[in-house]
Amino acid sequence: MADSGPVRQQGPTTAGQLARLLEQGVQLVGSGERADLRRRLDQALGRLQDPSIRVIVVGEFKQGKSKLINALVNAPVCPVDDDIATSVPTIVRYGETPSATVLVPAVKDPGASGDDGSGDGADGTIERRPVQLADLPALVSEQGNPGNGRKLAAAEVCLPRRILTGGLAIIDSPGVGGMNSTHALTTLTALPAADAMLLVSDASQEYTEPELRFLRQAMRITPNVAAVLSKTDLYPDWRRVEELDRGYLDQVAPEIPLFPLSADLRLEASRLQDSELNSESGFPALVAHLRNDIVGKAERIQRRSVSQDLLSVTDNLRLALQSELDALENPGGTPQMLAALEQAKTEADHLRKRSARWQLTLSDGINDLISDMEYDLRDRLRRIQKEAETAIDQGDPGPVWPQFTQWLEECVAAAVSDTFVWTSERSQWLAAQVAGHFAADEVSLPVLQVSDSGDALDPVDRMPELDPGRVNPIQKVLIGMRGSYGGVLMFGLLTGIFGMALINPLSVGAGLLLGRKAYREDRETRLKRRQGEAKALVRRQLDDVIFQVGKQLKDRLRLVQRTIRDHFTEIADEYHRSLSDSVAAAQKAANSFTQEREGRIRDIRTQLAKVDALHRAAEAVSAEAIAAGTRASAGVG
Amino acid sequence: MTASTTAGAAALIREALEAYADDPQASAALQGYAQRLAEPLRIAVAGMVKAGKSTLLNAILGEEIAPTDTGECTRILTWYRHGHTPRITLHPFAGEPRNLPLKRVDGRLVFVLDGIRAEEVERLDVEWPSPALRAMTLIDTPGIASLSRDVSARSVRFLAPEDSPSEADAVIYLMRHLHASDLRFLESFRDTGAGRSGTVNAVAVLSRADEVGAGRIDSLLSAATIAERYSRDPGLRKLALGVVPVAGLLAQSARTLRQPDFQALQSLAAMDRTARERLMLSADRFRRSTEPEGLTEEARASLLERYGLFGIRLAAVLIRNGFGEPTPLAHELARRSGLDSLLEVVNRQFQARAEALKARTALVAVADLLESRPRQGTEHLAASLERLQASAHEFRELRLLAALRTTGAALPPNLAAAAEQLLGGGGPDPCTRLGLVAGSGLEEVAAEARRRLVQWRAVAESPLTARAAVEACRVVIRSCEGILADCSGRDRQRQPA
Repeated sequence: MADSGPVRQQGPTTAGQLARLLEQGVQLVGSGERADLRRRLDQALGRLQDPSIRVIVVGEFKQGKSKLINALVNAPVCPVDDDIATSVPTIVRYGETPSATVLVPAVKDPGASGDDGSGDGADGTIERRPVQLADLPALVSEQGNPGNGRKLAAAEVCLPRRILTGGLAIIDSPGVGGMNSTHALTTLTALPAADAMLLVSDASQEYTEPELRFLRQAMRITPNVAAVLSKTDLYPDWRRVEELDRGYLDQVAPEIPLFPLSADLRLEASRLQDSELNSESGFPALVAHLRNDIVGKAERIQRRSVSQDLLSVTDNLRLALQSELDALENPGGTPQMLAALEQAKTEADHLRKRSARWQLTLSDGINDLISDMEYDLRDRLRRIQKEAETAIDQGDPGPVWPQFTQWLEECVAAAVSDTFVWTSERSQWLAAQVAGHFAADEVSLPVLQVSDSGDALDPVDRMPELDPGRVNPIQKVLIGMRGSYGGVLMFGLLTGIFGMALINPLSVGAGLLLGRKAYREDRETRLKRRQGEAKALVRRQLDDVIFQVGKQLKDRLRLVQRTIRDHFTEIADEYHRSLSDSVAAAQKAANSFTQEREGRIRDIRTQLAKVDALHRAAEAVSAEAIAAGTRASAGVG
Repeated sequence: MTASTTAGAAALIREALEAYADDPQASAALQGYAQRLAEPLRIAVAGMVKAGKSTLLNAILGEEIAPTDTGECTRILTWYRHGHTPRITLHPFAGEPRNLPLKRVDGRLVFVLDGIRAEEVERLDVEWPSPALRAMTLIDTPGIASLSRDVSARSVRFLAPEDSPSEADAVIYLMRHLHASDLRFLESFRDTGAGRSGTVNAVAVLSRADEVGAGRIDSLLSAATIAERYSRDPGLRKLALGVVPVAGLLAQSARTLRQPDFQALQSLAAMDRTARERLMLSADRFRRSTEPEGLTEEARASLLERYGLFGIRLAAVLIRNGFGEPTPLAHELARRSGLDSLLEVVNRQFQARAEALKARTALVAVADLLESRPRQGTEHLAASLERLQASAHEFRELRLLAALRTTGAALPPNLAAAAEQLLGGGGPDPCTRLGLVAGSGLEEVAAEARRRLVQWRAVAESPLTARAAVEACRVVIRSCEGILADCSGRDRQRQPA
């Protein structure tokens, strides 16, 4: 995990150099008493030391996803089988020594076990259990763990491989499109946490409709997609398929790269140490893409944000030093300078106030967003409710209740994840809007995490059981008897007037007729009652979902609001503090003695030189990151 | 019995024709059904795109005439029926049917549509002098779950129309792995006309079985295990009569093995084993390689196209293991491809019941007509329809068989399995029903049938048996009696001889 090792040999500015720059900054700041700036640099250092770039491998089942990962890291970490294989997502990342862990949601009460684990794990704690690498295939495949009966959340494998350095984590997902359509949902909910996606489809045929539908859905969540055409060794006509697939991909989005690969050839190549075979397998292109485009891009973003942090810290430091220096060197101009500084300070102070324009934009925006989100959620669920009610009205819900609940749960989960994704998009937009109003020329945006809906449905209870509507023969007889009893009695008494016995053919006949009628009516009422009950259950369930999910979403949006506010307030605070420091320093300088003055000027000069050097270094990193970005998008093989 | 059912269905249609004589649309439809009764059974080959439908069709025909391609290929419904001379007729949605020129490239038909768009064509009708078509009419359908939605929609509409009985009497359904779309389609086919009479009449095929294990030499074994698992899957069990693994490409090419192919395979087999394996690491490698000498690049490409890597590997191994002549090799390849077992299942499940299946389609059609266009004076028609449906034992067998596979018939599991076999779930010939070796003697069959009869009577008369189960037992008893009657009938024929 955190042992993702020292990161070396990529890019012109290595992460080590960046870390050294940051440490220099910490030293500079540390000499003063600017704890706020120091915290910012410490955070940047923390991010730099534990990078994590998650690439999820998705696709229909039996397309060779697991084998692709095995060939990529050249180790049999994901089980491969002719029949259905993966049932648990497996994360492969860097580690000094090979090791494996399974992640099990901690169950509060081991006695109570839900059917699919949606009930447990609600407290959100996850237990990590180390296992032997050799035992892993049995745990994550359908064979050893059918339908994920052991309820593993994920498995994690650490391997000392060069390709995994730089924080790359590759995730193997269960295939979608099988009989178990919940797999697609698991994969979709895992997507927001991923930085990039590899869509795997084999060379036996062009894309099918379900595959492209999945791709379109997934691209809304993770736009960074590469397509992989697997098993090219087996199909002589893979070039035709590649051509066709590229055509389809261009229709979806123009810039999705497509890599034809053969995992078998790659494995064979590494067994024989044959580099020609390796290049024939097509893997070098994929590895280059992972390194340059996916890891490289993430690193560029990382470098840019680090350089931003450094630039702003040095700017803040410089301000105080420069104004003191100016005051020392040019005592005559001090009053004007002080006035200008005071003016800037008032402006910065205003930015911190609640009445500042960005604050208003933020609070209005969040309120709008909350009401929109609630409306969106309700609207989606209402549509599901209507559909469910129509379905219930069409027949007896009793016998199909398990399937019905499953369908309902899938629909609800899909609707909720849609709302989450949509909310996430909107809050990003809001943050950008606020940044615009904040008016600082280059403000970095806070990192927001709203779109992960993985556990949003956990607090919602499972759908309760519905009476399947079966009546046993004794009950049937009793119902019939209840009806016929009145008939026999009525007609028996009536015919009794004519001197017939109470039980006579006429009264028995009437009893039979009425009994039959009573039974039928009873059946009708029971059906009506079951339908009513089912509708009530659906309504209650959806109410529960709206209540719980609405609460969670509101909480998350409040968190977003707080994150954005804190982020910008902090920047304003830093600015304000630097300005007041400068004012104080300038005033102090104006009052100091001449002999002290000389020494102080020298001190400040050396300090300033250091700060400027750091500033220039940070600028160089930033420029480099931007240039590398344009170079990469121009297309490096 | 069978003859009387068919005759009954034909009579029913005649009656209906009289009743609806003044309704041209209804009479046209009825005449179509009357003709259908006399024609061979219609079997549709369906499945998701690129499942290998046309390839399998070629394999069944034993001749490569249906066009196949790497991209999506079949976009028009194509009927293959028996005719003395080859002929292709195009039926557009609007306008008169017309003949298409007979053009073949490499033996395969090329449909020259002459500017007519595929969407405007209802179907193509190919008449071909192939012996395999004498017994059945094959229908090649465009794949479902295709990216061109209207193509898929057309297939589904044809096989599972919403308002009339399906044009096909039975379906061979191809799938690669069981996909959610497959189950959805099979369900909708069952829910239509053919399904309403409560029977299962699809056979599932695990197609492209050679690719299951990435072309390894044991791929077919692996595929057989998977097919076995699917056939036990409760979701599929109620939709299909069985699951058979078939390597379509191998089957198609094995039936048309040519001498140059054989020589090429022989030279490959003569190579050293490790060299051969290195050569066949990938299709590209095989095509590029210069070993063994004497194989041109075109020959390699054609081998790959016709047999696939798996087929070449298997053929090489077989030649080394003593199949040194083209004909035995072709037979062995065809046997391994799983085509024989598919044909056997088709024979057992469809051909043996062809009359019942066709009659059932006719009955459903008449029932639909009565429902959609009710009119005065058809009461007698409804009555005879009901009589036929209730009295024909084949229908009752089919219905019970479907019930056993879907909802169950209140029988304990071991009895239910036995009942399924006796009702002809494995195939309707007496030996299969009784679980005897094929070709057992008449006395043996009769003795076994008698034993079963006694056993089932005991079950039926037991006071502990539920009412629904008693109904089922009666049908099973009737089936046993049928076998016995058949035995004594044949016995009598034999004695005078």
